[in-house]
This record gives sequence, C-alpha cells and structure tokens, in this order.
Amino acid sequence: MAATFFGEVVKAPCRAGTEDEEEEEEGRRETPEDREVRLQLARKREVRLLRRQTKTSLEVSLLEKYPCSKFIIAIGNNAVAFLSSFVMNSGVWEEVGCAKLWNEWCRTTDTTHLSSTEAFCVFYHLKSNPSVFLCQCSCYVAEDQQYQWLEKNMQITILTCRHVTDYKTSESTGSLPSPFLRALKTQNFKDSACCPLLEQPNIVHDLPAAVLSYCQVWKIPAILYLCYTDVMKLDLITVEAFKPILSTRSLKGLVKNIPQSTEILKKLMTTNEIQSNIYT
Amino acid sequence: MDVCTFEKVGIRGTNIVVLGVEKKSVAKLQDERTVRKICALDDHVCMAFAGLTADARVVINRARVECQSHKLTVEDPVTVEYITRFIATLKQKYTQSNGRRPFGISALIVGFDDDGISRLYQTDPSGTYHAWKANAIGRSAKTVREFLEKNYTEDAIASDSEAIKLAIKALLEVVQSGGKNIELAIIRRNQPLKMFSAKEVELYVTEIEKEKEEAEKKKSKKSV
Repeated sequence: MAATFFGEVVKAPCRAGTEDEEEEEEGRRETPEDREVRLQLARKREVRLLRRQTKTSLEVSLLEKYPCSKFIIAIGNNAVAFLSSFVMNSGVWEEVGCAKLWNEWCRTTDTTHLSSTEAFCVFYHLKSNPSVFLCQCSCYVAEDQQYQWLEKNMQITILTCRHVTDYKTSESTGSLPSPFLRALKTQNFKDSACCPLLEQPNIVHDLPAAVLSYCQVWKIPAILYLCYTDVMKLDLITVEAFKPILSTRSLKGLVKNIPQSTEILKKLMTTNEIQSNIYT
Repeated sequence: MDVCTFEKVGIRGTNIVVLGVEKKSVAKLQDERTVRKICALDDHVCMAFAGLTADARVVINRARVECQSHKLTVEDPVTVEYITRFIATLKQKYTQSNGRRPFGISALIVGFDDDGISRLYQTDPSGTYHAWKANAIGRSAKTVREFLEKNYTEDAIASDSEAIKLAIKALLEVVQSGGKNIELAIIRRNQPLKMFSAKEVELYVTEIEKEKEEAEKKKSKKSV
C-alpha cells in the first residue's frame, strides 16, 4: 500500500506477482492430490504394535496388558549388542511384542517387507519375573513416531550411543578415552550412576531424549547411559564400554554369566564384520 | 586420531627391533598380498601405520624416495630420526595449507642407525614425533601400552627371541583370534627386514602358551 500526493491510498504495484487474494487462497488450499500424498505418508509412518511371531496386532497397549516394575531400553546397534550378550543370555526372555515403523531413514521404500534391524523395536519380558521389561531398538525412530508407552510405577534404564565428535568439552579431544560412558538421570532417580554425569553443554537427542523427558515430566525414576564412541557401527570395544552398568541396581540380578556373555559378544561381532579396505 | 581398529606394536630391543601388527581378515576373493601393513622404507628402516591406507601409500612413497635421495647426495643411509623427521614435516605441512587435509595415519618407524643403536619413533597426523622404547597404535593402544609398561624390562629385550615374544604377547592381549591374525617383522643389526611367515609366528605363539601353562602350574603348586 502506498499514499499518493492526493492523499488517497492505493495499492502499490508488486513485482513479485499479482496480489489477487483469491489466487492466494487457492494456492493455500490443498489439492486432492496433495491431501492423498499426505495421508499416504502418514499411513506409511504409522507405528504399529504387533505380536512378532504371528504378526497380528496388539489391540491393547503393551503395558496395560503387563504391569511393569523395571524397564530397560537399548537404542542403537552397540547398546542392543550389549543387552543381547550380557543380559538376554542370563535368563529366559520371552518376546511380548514389537513396534513396527518406517521413516525416511530406513534404507528401503517398501513398507511391507522391512527387515528386523530396520524397522522393529522388540519388547521382551523376563519369564521368571514378568514385570521386568526389555526393549531392543536398532532402528531410527523419528520425532513424530516416538511412541509413548510408559507407566508410572517403575524404573527405567536407557542405553544408547553417540559419536564422540558430538561431545563438547574444554579438554583436548585427542586425550578423550573413547569409548566412554556418561549418565543423565531424572529427579526421581535416587541411586547413583556408575559413571560421571553428562556435563554441560552436551545434550541428548532423539528417542532416548524423548523417553527421559517423558520420565522427568511424569516423575518416573529413569537413568540414561550414553556411550560416546568413535566407531558407530557394531564394535566390540564400544559394547564393552557398557560393562560398568552390569554392577548397577538397574541390571543387578539380570546378569549371571559374564564369561559366556563375552563369547556370545565375540560371535556377534564376527558374524557382523564388514571389512572395509579404506583403513588398515 | 585412531580410527583404525587394528593394533600395531613396536618394540626396541638391544639387538633387534620388532614390529607386530594385527592382520585383518580379507574378503575371500581378495589377494592377501596386496594388504601390506609393514613396509620397508630402506634396508635398515621399516614402518607400520594405522589409518587411511591410501594416505599411507603416498607418505611411504615420498619417504622411500627421500631415503634414496639422501643416500645419493650424502653417501650415507638415512638415520631413523632423519626419515621420521622428514615424514613428520611432510605431515605438518598438510595441517597448515589451504585446501588440503592432514594425512590420516599414525606411524611406527623402526630401524638401526649407523652407530648400531636401535630406534623406534611414532608419528601422528599433527606432525609430531617422539622416540619410544616400546609403543602401540590402534584402538586398544591404551591396553597394549599398559601391558608393555608392566612387562618391558631390560631382561625382556636383551635377547632377540624374548623381544619377539613380548611383541606377540602384547598383541595377544587385544587380538581376538590368536596367532593366526598376527603379522610380524624384525630388523636385526646390519641385516635387512625379515617378515615372519605364519608358521614362524605360530611357533612363537605355542612357545608362549607353554610358558604360560608352566607358570600357572608353578603358581598352583605354590598355593598348594
């Protein structure tokens, strides 16, 4: 809008295009095709809770079905390998369900035939003590999919990894003893962590942050163990960096056979080794 | 910066220098001989590196040319310190130029000087170099170095076979599948580089295992 000499207000000509209001509305209005695409994408990105073996869906929320006193979640392939070798072989764990999801980080666009590492968060409970739950999540869970399945009366332990280049410190990075553990806990978590707490200004990202934030808001005692490592793929030294957690209350009683666990871990490593020729 | 997962160990003995490396498993269809980790820079100096293979190839070529150039100009073979300084200076240049990135390798350089004294140097991507009596590079370097600090004694390095066994024992601390994944090279005073065959390494490994068993038997006898 501009004022002319004669005091009238006229619309200034716009070089960006016609300012016809009707055209603007049409532009904003979604075409049926756009709507269809958006709905399809939303359907693709839906998180589905299934019973793994039968692949039928779980009608009820997982935790409404089973009460829970302890919940351990591993996010990322190193944390998952740690739980598989040290915790899952020390007892009989029964699979109770899984969350199947797809997002842009998955390597395939086919949403029906997703591999187990790409798209599942699997939930197990201990047969001898069914209120102890474990979740293995080796896929990436996007922000809009961070599914909230938490209950009030329990203690939560989250294990995850991050690349050491994300770690901010005033020390020289060459002297960092990577891989190393840091912990972050909610106000209601009264026990001590087995490693130093995460220093400022470092932050936690993605699903682990979502779970921890939820726990802090709902006053659930929870602790997150974050392993900073220089190798993000499955790596023996990184998985072994989680070992101090075995002595904490979170995993006490769940781990029995440590030498056997080390053997299982080594086997997991050899089957997963991808040899790259870049490094010697 | 150690991105490489495979360990390298270097030990400076009185009359011998030993370089041991962890062999990585090659793909089935790949020719093992093209995966060389220990390289001779001259008759009396050799080097093991950890990091980007391509960067190492460039550095090794330049070092080899420099060794011969020195011999032609000065009519003397390079000292281990000279060639280490050359490599370190080269690496440093690439940290201070525009448009270039540093060489992504750490190297262990061993050899004998004309005065007959053995040397071991380590360089890193920043271009610094230091002399060591024994050192390790790679991801579990800390564990190996701790082992070496405990077990590197004047007795251990006095005899050639003891120095070789120390290198193998240090590697066995972190190498997962035992002797068959270890590659060894030695230089004896006034002799060229010798690469050990798999059989020779196995012989030493069996000897080490025997000694371990005997030591354990003695311990149990003493406690009984």
